[in-house]
Amino acid sequence: MLPLISIVLATLLAGTVATFLSGTRARWTALATSLAFLAEVAVLFVRYPGWPGYTGAGIPGFAEGESYAWIHLSWLQINYTVGVDGISLVLILLTAILQVATVIYSWGEARRPSAYFGLVLLTCLGCFGVFVALDILLFFLFWEAVLVPMFFLIGFWGGPRRRYAALKFFVYTHVASIVMLVGLLALVFYSGATSFDFSAVDAAARGLTGVVQAFLFLALFFGFGVKFPIVPFHTWLPDAHVEAPTGASVLLAGLLLKLGGYGLIRWAVEVLPSGLHTDQPILFAVAFLSIVWGSVLSLSQRDLKRLVAYSSINHMGIVLLAIALGSSLGLLAAVLLMFAHGIVSGLLFMSAGSVHHTFGTRDIPNLGGITPRTPALSTMIMVGSLASLGLPALISFPAEFTALLATYNGLGYWVFVPLAILVVTAAFYLWMMQRMLFGPEKGVPGDARDLPWHEGVGMGILVAATIVFGILPALLVDVIVSSPVKGFPGT
Amino acid sequence: MVAAFAIVGLAGTRLKRLEWGGWVAVAFSGAALVVGVLIGAGEMLDPGRYTVVQYTWLHLGPAPGVFPNGVSLVVGTLVDPISALMLLVVTVVGFLVMLYSIGYMHHDRGLPRYYAELSLFLAAMSGLVLANNLLEFFLFWELVGVCSYFLIGFYYEKPSAASAAKEAFLVTRVGDVMFLLGIFLYFSRYALAGPAGLGGWAANGFVFTNGNQPFLASSMGGNSTLLTVAGIMILGGAAGKSAQFPLHVWLPDAMEGPTTVSALIHAATMVAAGVYLLAVTSLFLGFTSLDQLVIVAIGGFTTFFAATMAVVHPDIKRVIAYSTISQLGYMVLAVGAGFAMVGLFHLFTHAFFKALLFLAAGSVIHAVGTQDLFKMGGLRKPMRVTAAAFAIGGLALAGIPPFAGFWSKDDILGSLYSELGTHPAYWPFFLLAFAAVFLTAYYIFRAWFLAFSGDGPRDPTLPHAHEGPWVMQVPLVVLSALAIGSGLLIFWPNFDSLLLNGAGVTGIPPVFGTSDLLLSAASVILAASGIALAWRLWGNGRIFVLAPTSAVAPVRTLLLNRYYFKIGYDWIGTRAVYTVARAADFVDQFVIDGTVHGFERIFAGLSERLRRIQSGLVSDYAAYVVAGLLAVFVLLLLVAPYLIATVGGK
Repeated sequence: MLPLISIVLATLLAGTVATFLSGTRARWTALATSLAFLAEVAVLFVRYPGWPGYTGAGIPGFAEGESYAWIHLSWLQINYTVGVDGISLVLILLTAILQVATVIYSWGEARRPSAYFGLVLLTCLGCFGVFVALDILLFFLFWEAVLVPMFFLIGFWGGPRRRYAALKFFVYTHVASIVMLVGLLALVFYSGATSFDFSAVDAAARGLTGVVQAFLFLALFFGFGVKFPIVPFHTWLPDAHVEAPTGASVLLAGLLLKLGGYGLIRWAVEVLPSGLHTDQPILFAVAFLSIVWGSVLSLSQRDLKRLVAYSSINHMGIVLLAIALGSSLGLLAAVLLMFAHGIVSGLLFMSAGSVHHTFGTRDIPNLGGITPRTPALSTMIMVGSLASLGLPALISFPAEFTALLATYNGLGYWVFVPLAILVVTAAFYLWMMQRMLFGPEKGVPGDARDLPWHEGVGMGILVAATIVFGILPALLVDVIVSSPVKGFPGT
Repeated sequence: MVAAFAIVGLAGTRLKRLEWGGWVAVAFSGAALVVGVLIGAGEMLDPGRYTVVQYTWLHLGPAPGVFPNGVSLVVGTLVDPISALMLLVVTVVGFLVMLYSIGYMHHDRGLPRYYAELSLFLAAMSGLVLANNLLEFFLFWELVGVCSYFLIGFYYEKPSAASAAKEAFLVTRVGDVMFLLGIFLYFSRYALAGPAGLGGWAANGFVFTNGNQPFLASSMGGNSTLLTVAGIMILGGAAGKSAQFPLHVWLPDAMEGPTTVSALIHAATMVAAGVYLLAVTSLFLGFTSLDQLVIVAIGGFTTFFAATMAVVHPDIKRVIAYSTISQLGYMVLAVGAGFAMVGLFHLFTHAFFKALLFLAAGSVIHAVGTQDLFKMGGLRKPMRVTAAAFAIGGLALAGIPPFAGFWSKDDILGSLYSELGTHPAYWPFFLLAFAAVFLTAYYIFRAWFLAFSGDGPRDPTLPHAHEGPWVMQVPLVVLSALAIGSGLLIFWPNFDSLLLNGAGVTGIPPVFGTSDLLLSAASVILAASGIALAWRLWGNGRIFVLAPTSAVAPVRTLLLNRYYFKIGYDWIGTRAVYTVARAADFVDQFVIDGTVHGFERIFAGLSERLRRIQSGLVSDYAAYVVAGLLAVFVLLLLVAPYLIATVGGK
């Protein structure tokens, strides 16, 4: 059988190296790599068997499984084990779409393009690795490998306070990574697993007592949660976004935040279901806090990027809420919402970047009535905002609907909290649009031009994804539900 | 089907940017009109339920205790006599407004955008009417809302238009959130409690089926708390869309949009969707008796409340907008009292005469360039068609026989009157609705006299008025005919039960044309005296000036300030909530992040010695980070295995 995942990894690795070395033609190498990646992901989708309990290649529940011995000791086996299931497949598709869109959007990057595109590819490589890794060491290596290129992207190509933002980002996520690693290692050693493989750890963890599960879950929740980010460990995110170059912002919001969600599902919720059950109240409290805090703070932001960053905290709070419900419906909603948020926040961060390129500022009160001069850019901002506030026929609606339905079924009238916040979310987007896009013209330089072609195409890809998956969410849902989580009601 | 037509129309208008774009949109809405009339005629002659298309949009996996067999969320088109009637309204008014737009809008910029958005609106509205389940209904409901948002903000350079668009979206959003919760409540209830015969609920999701109503009535006793809450939530959604108290504030401000948009969206179709939602819910799901009382109260109160504000307003479009809120209140009242078909009948006639009033007002605005009634005057002579059309619309609105509004409004009052014996709690709302008849006749003829009677404009700077082109006059004539004739449906024997049976709803007695003769006479006299008062105060170019010392002067101020609701909501939105958000931002920056920086300082003090290697260059930091990571990698990959092998291997 074709080792497809390894082939994808090799493609990305070779493409990344080639991009680093190809000097001024780096963008072409990057584009070729990204398109190859997208094509390979399409093959993965086509080949995906998509029924529950699939046991191809000897890894139960995962397709395209590969496992090779890496470090074998008498009491511990570390393997190169990879595989995909419905959950990771959807996030891999997100990675591929965002990578292509980001590379095209950044086509005009003039400052050391080979390094820039190489780092973009490296980030995506790391994310892909995280989504396919089924061994704790492999997972951790990829997890850490994502941080480095992102640190560089913010630190070299960022705004005036890039040093502060890059270090803050690195320190926050690194501390969280260490807690996560300790949690994962403790999981292995407490459960007595003899392998770092996901299935072995998963099986061994069934024997853990409730108290141990609860503590381990809490450690993992903190480790993954900072990436989400959860309130009150979120302040790295707005700073990182404001300083990051547009491409890095897209990957940061679109992919890096999803690593937290994916990690929580794969390595905590699936492995420690009774830990989730015990810690549920904490997760709910944190989720509600993040939902409310992110939305209310968005209302007070002047900087377009900060506004979108805080709305990300709100959306990822809904993801956390859906995961915490511990139901298959909630899990479906969480994955769908992560995909939707990846696409939509990517679009919005690209819009914010274009606003900055075009007008020299992202300060909402200093701009006004930009629509007649830059109709295409305004349209992108409108589509992004409407998608983000949950307009039907766009991708976020099925995701949010499912999340709220799951919340209602799990928590009853508590659903009114996220529902009421939907009004606030609509308010800050509409207010932003009213001030920036409509009304009399303000703060528009005389030479302001509408979107350059590459920015338009990059955003166009995401708009297309927003509409296609918004009208046909079943394309994703059918894949996600093929991977039921053991121990959940409804499996 | 119809939706597809209008979507193609959307593409067409995008392709053809210039003046032909409008005609493309007209052509497609004409095609939609043909389909709408065919479906409507077919349903009137042979009532029945036809599911034209249905497919699964989303299948959510099974969840024990919630959806034992999983839930399929479906989308499909359902044609029954009720949706056919609505479709007829949408396509007729839609086509006429499109045609009228050719003349009315030809001065404006951004016409491709206008026609595209209007076509999209027609598509979404058709989809809403033909939806065969609540979720799909909600989907299109949001889409018509966003079309309304864009069309209200069509003149987006005007700050007031941009603000009104946002206000409309946000206020209806409050309703939408309630509607969504209502959907969840019904959804879980039916998915969980559906007996064997209603497996359709669990398997097909949320399809409007005839089996639901008896199921609700029998097994819930009509009084479950959950169903009461669900009903209130549906009412919240309807109140947002149909601008019922206390979510009424957005509709008068929505008049910032082009008058054509006001006629189509904010009078005839979209705002009526809330009433349609209530009617469909009451027929297929049923309301508890407490819900009914609340709906009657909201509808009855709104009817009177909105009419009082129309009495003083100087802006011709806003007078009609308040009138729309008030008339929608009548419909809500009827549906709440259990007479869904009567409410829908008023929706049907109202769509025509209110679109007529708006288009006639548009004709006036087109001619004189102002919306201020006190600047107009004497337009009767240069604009005979418009004056006649506005008068016909006004008579229909006031409820003078034989105009359409009389039959439908009379039916509402009559059927409600017949309920008073069993539901004495309805009394105050009946009286409010009855009193509103007088106000309605007064305010609409005040507007007519101010605009059309007298010798000439009060503001001499107004341009010389003339009628619009034929594309504007034809819709006025057609709508005038409908404003006279559409009420005659009431003489079709058993028309309402015919429709109900066709839709598969049983057990609701026919109420059409059962009104009380004495009551009808009283309401006609009341309306006539309203017109007479308007004539006395404003007729023949007269201006009635209220003395500032008069006892009713404060009332007038209160009404002109819209009972201070607008100011209050603005205060909540821009002051209270924004202040909280600013405070939260402060906490975020200085408390949460401040704590982080506090730790940072502590560590910075500890690492004073490391300062020497801090060159301050990001590239150097990066190099350290890479070096550190490489060391970790090497350690893990090479050293650790040997180490572990020697120590752990034993």
